[in-house]
Amino acid sequence: MGGAARTDDQAVLDVGRAIHAAFPSAGRRPLRALDDKAMDLASQDEELKAALFRFVDVVPACRNLDDLARHLTGFLGEVDEHPPPIAVAMRMSGTKAGRTALGAAAAAGVRHMAHRFIVGETVDDATGVMRDLWERGVATSVDLLGEATITQAEADRYARRCAEALDQLTAVYAKLPPRPQLEQDALGPLPRANLSVKVSALTPLLRPDAPELGKRDAAVRLRDLLRRAKDRGAHLHIDMESYDSIEAIADLVLELLAEPEFADGPSAGVVLQAYLRDSPALADRLVAFAGSTTRAHPLVVRLVKGAYWDHEVVEALQHGWSVPVFEVKADSDRNFEALTRRLLEARAGGTPIRPAIASHNLRSVAHAVAVTRELGLRDDDLELQVLRGLGDDLQDALAANGLRVRTYCPVGDLVAGMAYLVRRLLENTSNESFLADQASGTPIEQLLAAP
Amino acid sequence: MTASALRDLPTFRNEPVLELRRASERERLLQGLAWLDGRPPVDAATWIGDDKQSGDANVSTDPGDPERVVAHAPVATAQDVAHAVEVAEQGARAWRRVPARERAEVLVRAAAWMRERREKLAALCVRETAKPWAEADADICEAIDFLEFYARGAIALDRGHHLFQVPGERNDLRYLPRGVTGVIAPWNFPIAIPIGMTAAALATGNAVVLKPAEQAPGCGFVLVEALRAAGVPAAALNLVQGAGEAGRALVQDPRVSTIAFTGSLAVGLEIIREAGQVPEGQLHLKRTVIEMGGKNCVIVDADADLDDAVPAIVSSAFDYAGQKCSAASRVLVHEAIADALTERLAGAMEVLQVGQADTFGTEVPPVVEREAQERVARYAEQCARQGRVVATHDVPGAGWFAAPTVATELPADAPVLREEVFGPLLTVEPVRDVDDACDRVDALPVALTGGLFCRNPHTVEHVVRRSPVGNLYVNRSITGAMVGRQPFGGNRLSGTGTKAGGPDYLLHFVEPQVVTENTVRHGLVI
Ligand SMILES: Cc1cc2nc3c(=O)[nH]c(=O)nc-3n(C[C@H](O)[C@H](O)[C@H](O)COP(=O)(O)OP(=O)(O)OC[C@H]3O[C@@H](n4cnc5c(N)ncnc54)[C@H](O)[C@@H]3O)c2cc1C
Repeated sequence: MGGAARTDDQAVLDVGRAIHAAFPSAGRRPLRALDDKAMDLASQDEELKAALFRFVDVVPACRNLDDLARHLTGFLGEVDEHPPPIAVAMRMSGTKAGRTALGAAAAAGVRHMAHRFIVGETVDDATGVMRDLWERGVATSVDLLGEATITQAEADRYARRCAEALDQLTAVYAKLPPRPQLEQDALGPLPRANLSVKVSALTPLLRPDAPELGKRDAAVRLRDLLRRAKDRGAHLHIDMESYDSIEAIADLVLELLAEPEFADGPSAGVVLQAYLRDSPALADRLVAFAGSTTRAHPLVVRLVKGAYWDHEVVEALQHGWSVPVFEVKADSDRNFEALTRRLLEARAGGTPIRPAIASHNLRSVAHAVAVTRELGLRDDDLELQVLRGLGDDLQDALAANGLRVRTYCPVGDLVAGMAYLVRRLLENTSNESFLADQASGTPIEQLLAAP
Repeated sequence: MTASALRDLPTFRNEPVLELRRASERERLLQGLAWLDGRPPVDAATWIGDDKQSGDANVSTDPGDPERVVAHAPVATAQDVAHAVEVAEQGARAWRRVPARERAEVLVRAAAWMRERREKLAALCVRETAKPWAEADADICEAIDFLEFYARGAIALDRGHHLFQVPGERNDLRYLPRGVTGVIAPWNFPIAIPIGMTAAALATGNAVVLKPAEQAPGCGFVLVEALRAAGVPAAALNLVQGAGEAGRALVQDPRVSTIAFTGSLAVGLEIIREAGQVPEGQLHLKRTVIEMGGKNCVIVDADADLDDAVPAIVSSAFDYAGQKCSAASRVLVHEAIADALTERLAGAMEVLQVGQADTFGTEVPPVVEREAQERVARYAEQCARQGRVVATHDVPGAGWFAAPTVATELPADAPVLREEVFGPLLTVEPVRDVDDACDRVDALPVALTGGLFCRNPHTVEHVVRRSPVGNLYVNRSITGAMVGRQPFGGNRLSGTGTKAGGPDYLLHFVEPQVVTENTVRHGLVI
């Protein structure tokens, strides 16, 4: 331990404690506590969890309340032991009236949960939340949820929604008061309007064995969006998805950003997933790209752990491939810290790059802040990012500590949001999750210990 | 016996397909293709015992470029076939005496031989049968799986079965080889299917006369090469090249005791009829292990997630131009979501990748030959006449391309709803509910694969109970059965109910024998 590349654990602990002290208390957020209870119930019993998740997943496809109730009891019927509230539900399902009531209650429950993670059905609906966040010193990145893109018409529709969102976000944010801390860092101005997009939604042609196909097709729509973002002075962030599409997405984005017409804008960013064993190579590539282009806007690199862990493991096991992600959680965490340092050192060394550390793990976040300070960088050389619904408390605490925080805000209807919602719920109830640890009352020293 | 032969074989696991999302793996396949293209056409000889007879009466060409010759082969005469059976009969006598364990090792060595050359073998599938890369690679993996799986299965079978024992008596159940197996194989899994049937026969101590499809003599030749190189004695594995006539001669030969066939319903039924004859002097009843076609339906209930269902249906129906016996040909969709599904299906058709098999990303390659192209076109015309074509797709001019087509609004008695097209054609029928769909499935004489998209566990169970098919897939594509994981084969007129790649497949290649020995002597149990 304690090699040259190791931040002083005491420094991490100090930062972590300071952030932790600023967490809002649960008492102030009664609804939140209620939700956490439901999730807690789900995380304790694997069968129940599976049943509830399958139910949440099918809600938008149910034709009426009766159908909804039949699905719910169908799933619950596969759970061996019924905790009391579920035994009640099973009894209700015996009659039509019971099923209607049960369906209505369950639908309301799912909607309630969805609202925790999805800020509104449209950008318009989300305006209030964005304004409120801004006033509290929190920036956003908006993500448009959608069904899977399997046709050109669907890709066009998503691209159109993105283009409109860029316009709407620009208009919304133009009216808001100055927040210097969110609009400026040492490398220059930061756009207020910020949109995250998914390449898999911009083309129906992403094929793992033929990355060129998807790249070529998505390039047309992505180029249009980059032009629009440049025109509006907005930031465009390209999310990273499953390993199948990584080559296509990384190549596509870096190639487009290197095109001369984008030399003076827009501000743009990519994502680096620390759970990937080969992420250090991509990190090197991104740093090299940031350092070698003459783009006016520094490349934003959002560092995440990665949202497709189960998928990657199952996919690899079903095919007999070596698993591309770390299989021990602490390895992902350690790599996250190493990559944090890699990005921040590049920044400290003069590379025009903007590291954005996206995590709800207090240790990971505190580590990033500590390394920033250790390297002699200013706090505003670092951006921290959280997901709406998962990182709300952390978001407030970071803002209260004067750190720049951006909240990723999904927008869309329930049907479109279901895949997203299920993924977040799974993440939240996973045994490996920091948030689950935190919720179960693990002491702060342990939460902040080096992985 | 070597020391290694005494050790247990490691537990079976499927050969991993290449991870084609990695550029280095794609490069590897392209090198295999460059190697193949740099060589003269495969000399796909008839190979009886040690005697090789080359010829060019039958030439296989690249379906995507019919000018390109892939392999040249002779056409065996009835006399050649008779000779092959005679050699096999001798071969069978020696091969059955080889311990099961050693026979298994030979198969495992053949698997290793193929593993080392997988990119070259995949390239041959690409050229000779226009299988797109991922599927060609999967074909080689399946071939390896069959070898490894049956090798292990035969060792287990050789241990016999536990029987009820009482004092003074010893009961043993053993399985004996049946003799000469005739294997008649299709071209659509040009290496996997013939090697699967052949390996099952060899593993259980039978000798084989293999007749590969006339469209894929080159693939047939290399798989024999693999087995011979691994140590299958020449007389135990004989290759005759040819078409229907050679096949008929093989089926009719009274010395052949088992016939393993995968192919069309018409030929399958003819084989069953022929095999029923017992001419003077024939000492056994012929057994047939037969896989024929299907008319595979995918049921989509109202609660299905179309994000998943549509891509799965498209790949089940159109990958490899629908030339799989497991391919989807009818969609039976709940009327509540029929319009949404049809619209998304039509949109997905637009982005289907129709092209040459050697291009990564191609989903719909050319069909295997002109005749197939014409057959698909006939059915497509029928759809246009009797119903409404929802979507179709442009195809390149050169090569035997058949336009992928989705049709709907067909009358209930339309032939295209009953007959196997074996090409890129899919029909869509709205149904009242899943029971309506099950009734339609139940009315079909064939029952190979089926699909169901539904998220209500009660409904899933209900459909499973009503389903006559041999392989039912729930909430996924209906093709791509894996050895050991999805033992494959149809019911009703789709086949003899034998499950390739399953735990009881080998039983069709053996004769059971029970030996009961009295162990009481002078009133004492000894
Ligand atoms: C603003 C923002 C944007 C995001 N954008 C993206 C994106 O574009 N693409 C993307 O993929 N993700 C994205 N994510 C999600 C992110 O990848 C994580 O899933 C999520 O943040 C949870 O990680 P954590 O550090 O907050 O929590 P932690 O609880 O510390 O970590 C959980 C993560 O650890 C990893 N993990 C879990 N179990 C194991 C194990 N057994 N072995 C190894 N690793 C394991 C997984 O990645 C899991 O998500 C984003 C997150 C945020 C906050």
